[in-house]
Amino acid sequence: MTVTPAVVEEEPTKKGLSFKLPLDETEMGLVAGIVAAIVLVFTGLPAVIKGIALILAFLWGMDSVRKTSKYGLGTGVPSIGVLATGFGVVGALVGLALAKYGSIEGVAYPAVLVGAILMGVIGLVAGILSNHEKVIAMKIPRLERAMMELGMAGTLIILLECSIVTGSLNFDAVVNQVLNTGLIAFMFIFTCFGLLHPYNACLGPDENRERTRMVAVEITGLICAFLGFAMIILSSSSWALWNGVSLLIFGVAVWAYFFWLFIKACMDEAYETVGTGMIKTIE
Amino acid sequence: MEPILIILCVVVGGLLASLGAHLLPVGGAPAAMGTATGIATGTVQIMLGAAMTGLFTAASAATFTDSLLLVALSGAIGATVMICVVMLMANILYTFGCGIVPVSGRVDVDPLTKEPQAPYKTPQTDGHGVPNVVYVSGMLGGFVGGFGGALMYFALLNYADFTAGTAAIGALSIFVPNAIIAAYNIRGTIEGFHDPKFKRLPFAMVTSLVVSLLCGILVVIASYLTVGGTM
Repeated sequence: MTVTPAVVEEEPTKKGLSFKLPLDETEMGLVAGIVAAIVLVFTGLPAVIKGIALILAFLWGMDSVRKTSKYGLGTGVPSIGVLATGFGVVGALVGLALAKYGSIEGVAYPAVLVGAILMGVIGLVAGILSNHEKVIAMKIPRLERAMMELGMAGTLIILLECSIVTGSLNFDAVVNQVLNTGLIAFMFIFTCFGLLHPYNACLGPDENRERTRMVAVEITGLICAFLGFAMIILSSSSWALWNGVSLLIFGVAVWAYFFWLFIKACMDEAYETVGTGMIKTIE
Repeated sequence: MEPILIILCVVVGGLLASLGAHLLPVGGAPAAMGTATGIATGTVQIMLGAAMTGLFTAASAATFTDSLLLVALSGAIGATVMICVVMLMANILYTFGCGIVPVSGRVDVDPLTKEPQAPYKTPQTDGHGVPNVVYVSGMLGGFVGGFGGALMYFALLNYADFTAGTAAIGALSIFVPNAIIAAYNIRGTIEGFHDPKFKRLPFAMVTSLVVSLLCGILVVIASYLTVGGTM
């Protein structure tokens, strides 16, 4: 007598993910760094283009967080994201202070990139000391490079956010509209979460880069919506108002689309999860 | 603006942040299940919370006084009060919620009160809650960390001539990497000054010194270029 299996085994159909940027981590860093730097220098660009550069910069930062945290930091993923934001704010202050050199008022501020480079140097020094056998000895492969990238990505992100809100990188304008209004506190926390949350939320044995990136893009959408809202409130001209409205719509659209994609990807991939049954009790 | 004083204050603040992070009772994930001593979260969250509370009190004090000591001490008191309340609430939750006694996992006898620890410890765990010696260590950690944060705030506000908002976020941003590097040094969890891991302190101090020195130089550059003045 043959026993027919109760459940007919089906071939699991793994659907291809619909979000794929065909770039590995190094290429992603280069593309994101260059695009974000170019968009950052020309502050007259529409806010939506800056928003796209912001998404790329967040993807870069998220990649660096991911490849470092994979080895286990001992303090949780949030620490490295907060570290990047801390470096980023210091770098942004220096970049903004340097902005007036070689600038065309209201159009291009090439000197701000020096802030990102200086922060890259500090990140590299911190990474070397953290990984060196005789100092902290974290023994994480390529930690030096990751910390350097995090310093640079953090600086670019904070500067891009300042550039989106004020529409220029003049130190006094940024101080008046971003720092003294307290907007920087929101930016600090939101940037922390944009960097640390994707990997922190997705980590586990079945983590994959594409799905983690969807969360990064989704959070950046939320940040764009928030920055657009801030622009509408702070706007002094109709150009700034419409820039803010367009960024708000862009941010909400990006958030909604990638949230839907992420849920769909989770459901598609969860289909293959195999139950292990109840834990056996000892009689 | 005074470049030497700025760099000195930032370096001392960074070193104190690093020392403060070593003194705090960080339990991490095991403490969330009641199987390790300390507060149930990472160093970053505890230190950031303490430093931010310290900065709020320091900023309030800085509005009516120019004294460095007064501002730094008010920051230290703010951070201490915050960390003490958190430790007390953790103890209340562990004792009355989980029904476990606060006990240290790293020492057999409390170094301060000479109370026995080992008989009260659940086997297979690493201590519970916040016992006396850990509480005292945490208070010291909050005080030292808050003092360091407020010192940086004062230097950025009065010596670098930044506005209050810029000085606060700048101080927080220099404080954070120092606390996190200390957290990497202690590998997640620590009980306080009686913990064997506390002997690793010099390594974090060296890293902190270099990082905060470089950050201090950047702050001087930023201050010199924006506010101007004589070097």
